[in-house]
Amino acid sequence: MRAQLMTPTRPAPAGPEQPAALTVTGLRKSYGSVAAVRGVSFTVRRGEIFALLGPNGAGKTTILEILEGFRTRDAGRADVLGIDPGDRASGRALRERIGLVLQDIAVEPYLTVRETVARNAGYYPAPRDVAEVIGLVGLAGQARQKVRNLSGGQKRRLDLALGLIGRPELLFLDEPTTGFDPAARREAWDVVRGLRDHGTTIVLTTHYMDEAQALADRLAVMSAGQVVAEGTPATISGRDQAQARIRFELPGGCQPEDLPLDAAMAGDGLATVETAEPTGALHVLTGWALHRGVVLAGLTVDQPSLEDIYLRLTEETGPSKGSK
Amino acid sequence: MATVTHQAHQPHQIHRPRRRDAALAWHQVRYEQLSFWRNPQSAFFTFVFPVVIIVIFGALFRTAGRSSYFYGVSVLQYYVPTIAAMSVLGSCYSQLAIVLATRRHDGILKRVRATPLPAWGYFLGLLAHCILVSVVDVALIIGVGRLFGVPLPTHWAAIAVTLVLAAACFCALGAAVASLIRNAEAAPAVVQLILFPLLFLSGTYLPIHSAAVNRVANVLPVRPFNQALLGPFAQHTGVNWHSLAVLAAWGAVGTLVAIWRFRWQPRPQ
Repeated sequence: MRAQLMTPTRPAPAGPEQPAALTVTGLRKSYGSVAAVRGVSFTVRRGEIFALLGPNGAGKTTILEILEGFRTRDAGRADVLGIDPGDRASGRALRERIGLVLQDIAVEPYLTVRETVARNAGYYPAPRDVAEVIGLVGLAGQARQKVRNLSGGQKRRLDLALGLIGRPELLFLDEPTTGFDPAARREAWDVVRGLRDHGTTIVLTTHYMDEAQALADRLAVMSAGQVVAEGTPATISGRDQAQARIRFELPGGCQPEDLPLDAAMAGDGLATVETAEPTGALHVLTGWALHRGVVLAGLTVDQPSLEDIYLRLTEETGPSKGSK
Repeated sequence: MATVTHQAHQPHQIHRPRRRDAALAWHQVRYEQLSFWRNPQSAFFTFVFPVVIIVIFGALFRTAGRSSYFYGVSVLQYYVPTIAAMSVLGSCYSQLAIVLATRRHDGILKRVRATPLPAWGYFLGLLAHCILVSVVDVALIIGVGRLFGVPLPTHWAAIAVTLVLAAACFCALGAAVASLIRNAEAAPAVVQLILFPLLFLSGTYLPIHSAAVNRVANVLPVRPFNQALLGPFAQHTGVNWHSLAVLAAWGAVGTLVAIWRFRWQPRPQ
């Protein structure tokens, strides 16, 4: 999908002095006796990509549905582009300025791609150009095909097109790349980044940590109806300050006590050194190995990945329930 | 794919003038029509079923003359308006209830709700569609009746008024039933379960000469519709205001129930 986003979405790039695109404070929602959202607060700045992570049942979709105006909240405040999404009288005004890409595919089968996008374009006061959006999501070759003949991945791209056609200031993406092949995911990421670079604010949920890592400017991790951490992918929950791990195979004939640094033997038989200062530690280790004339096979250095952090956060704070 | 090339940011807020309501309504009516005609099955069955019924009745009764059992008109003169009424019930009440329940179940209604299209715009598109299909249905049935020697109706204006009002009324009732149905798979069964006894009670298949039954059927929606069509079709009378008032009352009830109970979202599993 080689396409151009000819017309800017929104003018000014994000700045700290700008009003937030979205603010929720103390949001609560229960279904019967089940508390799905238990006092959630966060802010999304204009022009950023904000990712909401968490296991199934953590409350992500409920929060999105409250912000999109599909559900009422029990308590707390919500402000989306200056509009209270719980206020039904403002529903049309809100929907003219937001775009939604929902989880399930639901498009009528008998219209063509072009007709489907053109129909929805007619609902908005300042839509994008139909052909431009079709090209942007990579369906230019399928524009005249009926929706029923599209593949699953193509239908999801059509869904994305329907989310973009109204030229939204704020775009909600609920698991936007589930079911995409790896190439299509990277293409979708490029589209999302391009929109952000144009000033569109994006709120997305995802189960893919690499997606959050690649796209999100900031993210919040949810567990059991609460936000348990919030930050940037690089720094969330002290990730950048966490100890690096140096791992390697113990050279033949050596004991752990022979090493110049304290090392633990991991379950997989690799020697593991944890250190806050990996540069110096590596120098000591490799100097020792050269001096002894041995090699450190399988040598790696890593920080905890976003996934490591995510798993730690969500395991600490509650069992994941089944899909809500 | 997506290389998104960028132009310079424009330093002003996007101007978003709203489309005029009439333009929006016309837009929605057009695309609702397009969806319908593109679906060969729905287009086919909507028109074929009533035509098949009237052809069967025509073949059976083409020689049957006037009888007091059929209120002094010929058998086919009686069946052309009642089958026409049945086709309107099918394309307005039954179809709409099932289509709405199915679209809700499939998440299509939720998608509609995610756009700025107001609810009135969406329902106006459906209503216009149902009225159009009803007109085509009734014209087909009149045409088939003509082939079997049934004289053309004389009071076209009364038929047009009755048709539009009844189509709106039965659309409202269809939307109301769709609002009360929880399960899309049960929708066709529920819809028919309500409709079939009503059709029998209201004399659609056979004239009813029981005063007690008619007294009940007269305050239900189907018999007044039959009566309101029978007059201008076969008895040289004009608009049957009394029957139309009953229809309008039912239409109002259906509208209120739909406003009160209609849901756009599928029930969570």
